[in-house]
Amino acid sequence: MSAPLLETRGVWQRFGGLIANSDVSISVGAGEIVGLIGPNGAGKSTLFNLIAGVLPPTQGTIWFNGQDVTQLPAAERCALGVARTFQVVKSFETMTVIDNVIVGALIRNDKMKDARRKAYEVLEFCGLAPRADKLARDLIPSEKRRLEVARALATEPKLLMLDECLTGLTPLEAQSGVALVRKVRDTGVTVLMVEHVMEIVMPLVDRAIVLNLGKKLVEGKPADVVRHPEVISAYLGDRHAVGA
Amino acid sequence: MDSFTQRRRRDLILAAILAAIAACVPFFVKDVYVQNIMVLTLMYAALSQAWNILGGYCGQISLGHALYFGLGAYTTALLFTKFGVLPWFGMLAGGAISSVIALALGYPTFRLRGHYFVIATIVIAEIGFLLFHNWDYAGAALGIDIPVRGDSWAKFQFTRSKLPFYYFALVFCCVAWFITWWLEDSKWGFWWRAVKDNPDAAESLGVVVFNSKMGAAAVSAFLTAIGGAFYAQFVSYIDPESVMTFQFSLLMALPAVLGGIGTLWGPVLGAVILIPMTELTRSFIGGSGRGVDLILYGAVIVLISLARPDGVIGLFSRRPASKGVPQ
Repeated sequence: MSAPLLETRGVWQRFGGLIANSDVSISVGAGEIVGLIGPNGAGKSTLFNLIAGVLPPTQGTIWFNGQDVTQLPAAERCALGVARTFQVVKSFETMTVIDNVIVGALIRNDKMKDARRKAYEVLEFCGLAPRADKLARDLIPSEKRRLEVARALATEPKLLMLDECLTGLTPLEAQSGVALVRKVRDTGVTVLMVEHVMEIVMPLVDRAIVLNLGKKLVEGKPADVVRHPEVISAYLGDRHAVGA
Repeated sequence: MDSFTQRRRRDLILAAILAAIAACVPFFVKDVYVQNIMVLTLMYAALSQAWNILGGYCGQISLGHALYFGLGAYTTALLFTKFGVLPWFGMLAGGAISSVIALALGYPTFRLRGHYFVIATIVIAEIGFLLFHNWDYAGAALGIDIPVRGDSWAKFQFTRSKLPFYYFALVFCCVAWFITWWLEDSKWGFWWRAVKDNPDAAESLGVVVFNSKMGAAAVSAFLTAIGGAFYAQFVSYIDPESVMTFQFSLLMALPAVLGGIGTLWGPVLGAVILIPMTELTRSFIGGSGRGVDLILYGAVIVLISLARPDGVIGLFSRRPASKGVPQ
């Protein structure tokens, strides 16, 4: 693996007395699909927000594309090529679907005409083109998830971060979501996804990183990770750990 | 893509037709009282359009725009009476000063969200009112009487006819509308709507939320001050009570809210309904019983809000009115 696209070095995040992340160092290589998993309260979302630039870490540094981005706000990280979706969808409800996506496209396109064209391309890619002129608030939940992805893709990211975008979908919707993520990776975009639904993530990701209680527990190939005794005990309790 | 371009072109043509009709109206309406109402209607349409840029598109509800209105009026009046500067330059100076002050005030207040921002704008405008009320150089509570130097466009004074003011107000209204129309399909317009709907998502897509708000505030304040400068010339006497009270802040916000907040036609539509109603109820029943005009006025606003929560513009929309907020 060449120099990683994304790297966190010894990242800590404290909220008062609560330590959400302690000494987390992860790296994501260009072109990978990496899954960030772990039980509830493991610190996945915090780490995710730190990488997206919602808040700076208490300690440690974050590197993107060879640059220290620890102190950069979210908008500037987006300009560098980090795009994200939100676990609780945050569509621009009073705007049309196409207008939602144009907002994302504007960061790489100065002319409205170019931004509009780019937005249409992305909608086609995500299968939302028929809904382009609908208001975002009129979309059904699975379409809203797609819109989140489309909006993020319109910023032409190097790294796409998906926050539980497959959770809460019907199996069929989730399958087409998986297909979309694969398609995104095939265009050369690196994907980092936080996910709960193991049976969906595991076949999809190249590598999985498991967090537990704010610390990195294991990382590796999905097949190895799910068999790892510490992962099993983190999810199911000690009694189920192999050899325990 | 086509339907979008078509809609924008249709808006532009409709605006041109309406402006042409408005330009012809004074040939048929000679009554000075009615002309006066028409001038005020156009002025408030423009002011509300200015307010709508910050309050409607960008979603930063300000109830302190009387401050910028007053600054425009006072700058023009002071420059003219103290230094003999023509009102046209005073108008631009007032706009520039208002923009700078809007940016200076935006720096601390745009960190506030929702209701807290609204409260801050009310309080700041009230501070401005009190400052002018006690500022001797600017006439304090007595205000400034703009001396009459004869009818002329250069001095922007007309004592015999209201028509010049009417045409200026019409141009002002058209300019404010056109600026909004143009901004609607610009980067800024998209950023503002994104910031209004969801600042966190906007930030994640590379929109610098703070700067977007600052831009909206500067444009909005500039246009509002132009309106204030116009008003000073129109009434030729200003004091803090007549240009800086909370009532003006409301009168700038209400037409947009009533007509359709964050829409291109909302402020115009709202002003056309609201301002004649304000004036007419005041002159016909204002004297009869205490506050009956205000009761009626309030009742109409409540009725419209209940029937059309999205504003009167909803009557003309092809989209069915949304049924509540889905979540």
